[in-house]
Amino acid sequence: MTEQALSTAVAAGQKTQSASSGLSGAWLPRLITGFVILLTWEIVVRVSAPAYVAKPTTVILAIPKVLTEPAFLQALGSTLVAVAEGLVMTIVVGTILGLLMGRSITFDRVFRVYINFFNAMPMIVVLPLFSLWFGYSSGARIATIIFAAIFAITMNVADGARSVPRDYLEVSRSFRSGRLRTLIDIVLPSSMPYLLAGFRLAAGRALIGAVVAEFFLSVGGIGYYILYNSRSYHHNEAFVGVLLLAAFGVGFELLVNWSTRHFMPWYRRDEKST
Amino acid sequence: MQSKALRRHAPFWFSIFAGIALWEVAGRNSSPAFMVPFSTTIARLWQLTVSGNFISQLVDSAKLFLAGFGLALIVGMPLGLLLARIRILRVGVEPYIMILYATPMVALIPFILSMMGFGFAPKLLVVFLFAVFPVLYNTVEGARSIKPELIEVAKSFRSSEWALWREVMLPYTLPYTMTGVRQAIGRALVGMIAAEFFLSATGFGQLIMSASQNFDTGGVFASMLVIGLLGVALTRLGLLIEQHFARWRQ
Repeated sequence: MTEQALSTAVAAGQKTQSASSGLSGAWLPRLITGFVILLTWEIVVRVSAPAYVAKPTTVILAIPKVLTEPAFLQALGSTLVAVAEGLVMTIVVGTILGLLMGRSITFDRVFRVYINFFNAMPMIVVLPLFSLWFGYSSGARIATIIFAAIFAITMNVADGARSVPRDYLEVSRSFRSGRLRTLIDIVLPSSMPYLLAGFRLAAGRALIGAVVAEFFLSVGGIGYYILYNSRSYHHNEAFVGVLLLAAFGVGFELLVNWSTRHFMPWYRRDEKST
Repeated sequence: MQSKALRRHAPFWFSIFAGIALWEVAGRNSSPAFMVPFSTTIARLWQLTVSGNFISQLVDSAKLFLAGFGLALIVGMPLGLLLARIRILRVGVEPYIMILYATPMVALIPFILSMMGFGFAPKLLVVFLFAVFPVLYNTVEGARSIKPELIEVAKSFRSSEWALWREVMLPYTLPYTMTGVRQAIGRALVGMIAAEFFLSATGFGQLIMSASQNFDTGGVFASMLVIGLLGVALTRLGLLIEQHFARWRQ
């Protein structure tokens, strides 16, 4: 009896030890890998590419210069405001549409075809059309961002609204709450994890939409900054822009993971990402 | 039975016809520079198909898509499985794959253009870059889902490397890899169009671009319709592949 207890205690001790060493042990291989990647990049570019091609050492030197450059800050602000505006509109409209689709079978059957169609369409094919409709303007950029992002939100919210536990709805009905009440107080909170999963996808797509729109429409922003600088062979400066975009992409990912864990601890994230 | 099927499918067809009718009415009542009705779109599509223009562009785009997507699978799947098996390598590479997965790859197109110029190779690289990271990312995710105990048990029963792969590694990681493949199909399609827009204009990208530059709105709508339908077909295929392998997942 005591022997058994002792052995479990030892096993538990070993387990925590190995777990903690596993965590701290992760940093070393990661650092080494990162270093190897950067070193390989540096060497390959130095040996075989022209001088203007970006390499780690020169990109690092360009970072302070770019981050204090007014033109860059303006471009960054312009893109971020557009993405934020687009995402807010996307979340409002996409959520309403998703809730309706999730809770009404008729609505779902009528709209599902179109949501699927536009969601499967590679979003950037709309650019020439949007440039005809909205001109070569920042309006076309917002439209592209919304088009790129909205269907991910709608589909996820619809999935969420469909999978509300039946018990909740029955309780709500037996307390005689109205349809709108049920939708806002029961269906919406219960679909939140899905909304967040949809938001993660939508944010990434919105970022891509913004950059592509700026390439295509020559609207000022971080995408255009990258395009302009790489055309004039300022690759190091342009690459700082790419690093920033990558940081936003990762930032959205981490933000959503964190808020799912923090605000919805009851929900275990399944591998649901379209 | 039949009436039940009818009731289920009626809203779908109703919705399709209503959509087409709406498109037709909206198109007839707006300037042809903005929008053309459904009938004009179909007529233009027919013209483009008969002239052979459409088919040759379709073949061009398909070549690019298949080459880039295929390369992504050839590189991504073995590399992902290798990472799944060798733990230290996976731990080291994991964060970088995550970063690259979340990075909007379109931002790299200007660099690729100025370094590699026009031609097929830079476009192939773009499609490859769009498609490879979903495969890698999801495979690594799958590898992380394997309980180390399973491998330990397999080892303590002296199972061979081959048996370990067949009984533990593949069944656990492949369903995740296939989720990656499904995502990669969608991304490769975006990459294909992006490459055709911003590198040398060929295929569908060129078709749409030149149509919009010539204010041939009918051509723009016709190409978008076809690309949309292609997208739907490919997405459906991806879902089927994923669901086929998902049966393995517990």
